Amino acid sequence: MFKFKELSKPTQLCVAWLGLMMFFALFGPFLPIENWTFVYEDDLGVTPFSPGHILGTDNNGYDLLSSVISGTRMSVFIAVTAVGLGGLIGSALGITAAFVRGKVDLVLSTAFNVGLAIPNLVLALALVSVLATNVDMTEVVPIWRRVVVLVISLTIVLIPILGRIARGATLTWSGREFVTAARSMGMRDMQIIRKHIVPNVLPALIAVAFLAFGVVIIAEASLSLLGVGIPDGGSWGGMIARGRNDLEYSPHVLYIPVIFLAITVISTNQIGEVLRGRLDGRESKV
Amino acid sequence: MAGSGTAHMRNTVDSVLTVRDLTVEFRVGKNKTVKAVSGLSLDVVKGETLAIVGESGCGKTTLARAILQLPPPNSGEVIFDGTDMTLLPKENLRSARTSMQMIFQDPISSLNPRMTVHQLIDEPLEIWDRGTRAERDERINKLLFSVGLEPDLVLNRRSYEFSGGQCQRISIARALALDPRMLICDEPVSALDVSIQAQILNLLLFMKETYGLTMLFISHDLAVVKAISTRVMVMYLGKICEVAPPDVLYSQPAHHYTRALLNSVPIPDPTKQIRTELLQGEPPSPMNPPSGCRFRTRCVGASALCAEQEPQLREVSPGQFVACHHPIV
Amino acid sequence: MSSLLSIKNMSVNFDTPRGSLEAVRGVDIEIPAGMSVGVVGESGSGKTVMCRAAMGLLQGSTVNRTGTVIFDGNELTAMSKEQVRELFGSGMAMIFQDPLTALNPVRRIGAQVSEGLRIRLGMSKSDAMARSKELLELVRIPNAAAVLKSFPYQLSGGMRQRVMIAIAIACNPKLLFADEPTTALDVTVQAQILQLLRELREDLKMSMVLVTHDLGVVAGNTDYVAVMYAGEVVEYAPTKKLFADMRMPYTEALLDSIPRVDHKSGTRLSVIAGRLPDPTNRPAGCGFAPRCKYAQDKCTTDHPELKTDPDGHIYRCWFPIGEAL
Repeated sequence: MFKFKELSKPTQLCVAWLGLMMFFALFGPFLPIENWTFVYEDDLGVTPFSPGHILGTDNNGYDLLSSVISGTRMSVFIAVTAVGLGGLIGSALGITAAFVRGKVDLVLSTAFNVGLAIPNLVLALALVSVLATNVDMTEVVPIWRRVVVLVISLTIVLIPILGRIARGATLTWSGREFVTAARSMGMRDMQIIRKHIVPNVLPALIAVAFLAFGVVIIAEASLSLLGVGIPDGGSWGGMIARGRNDLEYSPHVLYIPVIFLAITVISTNQIGEVLRGRLDGRESKV
Repeated sequence: MAGSGTAHMRNTVDSVLTVRDLTVEFRVGKNKTVKAVSGLSLDVVKGETLAIVGESGCGKTTLARAILQLPPPNSGEVIFDGTDMTLLPKENLRSARTSMQMIFQDPISSLNPRMTVHQLIDEPLEIWDRGTRAERDERINKLLFSVGLEPDLVLNRRSYEFSGGQCQRISIARALALDPRMLICDEPVSALDVSIQAQILNLLLFMKETYGLTMLFISHDLAVVKAISTRVMVMYLGKICEVAPPDVLYSQPAHHYTRALLNSVPIPDPTKQIRTELLQGEPPSPMNPPSGCRFRTRCVGASALCAEQEPQLREVSPGQFVACHHPIV
Repeated sequence: MSSLLSIKNMSVNFDTPRGSLEAVRGVDIEIPAGMSVGVVGESGSGKTVMCRAAMGLLQGSTVNRTGTVIFDGNELTAMSKEQVRELFGSGMAMIFQDPLTALNPVRRIGAQVSEGLRIRLGMSKSDAMARSKELLELVRIPNAAAVLKSFPYQLSGGMRQRVMIAIAIACNPKLLFADEPTTALDVTVQAQILQLLRELREDLKMSMVLVTHDLGVVAGNTDYVAVMYAGEVVEYAPTKKLFADMRMPYTEALLDSIPRVDHKSGTRLSVIAGRLPDPTNRPAGCGFAPRCKYAQDKCTTDHPELKTDPDGHIYRCWFPIGEAL
């Protein structure tokens, strides 16, 4: 669709950054560095570019590079899964609603509108406290349980957002004459959806999906900051939570995760914007 | 103006398409219905090109879609090749449709912008499994040649790379892929440049002769219709005004609307300008059409009878049928 | 006969990623006062760009306009944008093809018609409304009082076009640019609007530039016709003379290729083969040469200049029709 060289410099940087994040997410555990929980007792609170710790350590001895890589894995996994699932379910419902119309459309659209009214943080808080918190607060909750509940709550929030986009795009495209032409050729409805509607709706969805990544990453970080997300700082939000108190003497402990978070969200937003701009340009030709 | 009236029907075995008493209405809002087509009957004989002429809102496009059952009409019969399409179950309807293909007004939006020309024309062949890969490719090439396009130059390109005229050629090739008996053309040249219109019209005429097609040609452009049709039907607000062969209709219109329509067409000859009585006012709303003859509110020849009784089609000269209580003699 | 509008050697180029797009090339047109001039051409001929450029409506850093435009003694091309805008309304006015997009959908008709009157002529609100009602009646809108309170979407295409004409003539312009004013309308409505324009022109002593692709429309509504092809004026003559005695092969080919109600049915239409030349890559010779059935070698190598016959007929062709070779 478009070449790397054609993009503007800032956009190229964004793509490169996201590439780096993906690399960390996929190959993090295989890198020749210790797990983030390893305590370097001799190097408490050292600044970045110190020997052995390129990003420094925090006051508890945790290496920040390892922590940030672990955070990347967490964020990427949650974002990709939530957006992926939300997109799949949302677009299936949205396309169906727009194609079938009538009562089905009415029901689904209302459901979307109701869903859109639910604030994501509140929902996540509610679900996590119900499903992923033990009554006995001293017992540790396994991380995977928290992750699953987070993904579920974020998926629920994303379904109506992506569903509405899919529905709108389907309404536009199914009104085009080539769909009528396909029907007059004797094509079945499912075939029409598969061959004619989906390929034309997909680009709009992907553009929004990128923007949604940014939102999900921040949501996860916020929840972790509040203590309701991934416990114990295995995520960017957790790092920020831990680093809050170190601001006076070791500000780098706070800045590092914040910078990673900010650049990642800027990158996804930028790519989402560029995709949307390309799309509008192409569609205006048609 | 007649809604019903079947005097113009020929009821022969050569009829490819027979439509009886077709009605299409749309509900808009609480108690309002748009009466797009009201009790209309027509027939198309093999080898004929029936042109349906009318201005916007007369129901001609709705009529075409209703014939294809996209969507099906509210009532009436659509008998194609001996079968009433309104009664067919979904599966049979799918296959029945393949004998009746349609060409649309907007050449670019009638082609999926993501598909190559090869995929576009192959699609109908693929749906109905017509032949092996090699046979289908050969057929696609032949079709492209016959519409005046070089296969090598177009097969791998997409619709947005072509001009309007070329897109329309591709649509015609696609429509002919399944060897239809009948071609419904819905304003196929309205969106094209003047010099391209002639090319596409000639192409349609050529296709008709080569493949022995029967055509239903819908247009608002009287000049285009005259060039291509063998029989013309004039519609107004969902009803038929007049049916006649083109030479007769254009030189001796019997219906007041037909005459007003003809007088409005700008002629590219400064010495032949008609400045007579122009049709005044606007067409009434299709949600609330006038009683009796639907044209009476704008007709110079209207009488009290026109408001009470709906005129039926009757023959006023050989082959010329008009729905009017006081036709022009 | 003095010229109300004089366009001399105007060219318009657009900077595009694909290179410089030459939309209009060296156009010379004189619009005499009180006359109606038709500009005929297909899409891509440059007719719309030329009109917008003449009125100074083309803006942006990618637009390059050269040449002179003189309106009623004022040299528009030397004036600032504000000065040119002063002339809009009372000097020049324009009506467009699609009244739906030319009218503001969220404002009532009355407000839109009276706006020009209040801004340009300094009328009070009530005076402007009263005059607006008069204007709507002048353009034959029935029930003008009700229409004043309506929104554009509540009116039909023909009515909206009448509203746009009312807005255009509100300040009694000397010159009206009509850019395909009836293309989107039904044929009976088109006839009504064209008749309205003819009558308004006579009553208001207004000149008109009528841009269209329809030779039938120019035949009945213009005093002079300019034919454009590939950004250039290729023929210009009084209407009756142009149709009776065509010089340009393009004009002849165009006339032959349109279907006509006054010809016998089933007549095979003659076709102009080929396509328009690429505006980013204009050929050296005559732009029509590849498609012209009279073309000779000279046509592909030398670009023909405009020639004026003693009777005022202007054309751009090495071998015009009717001239012995």
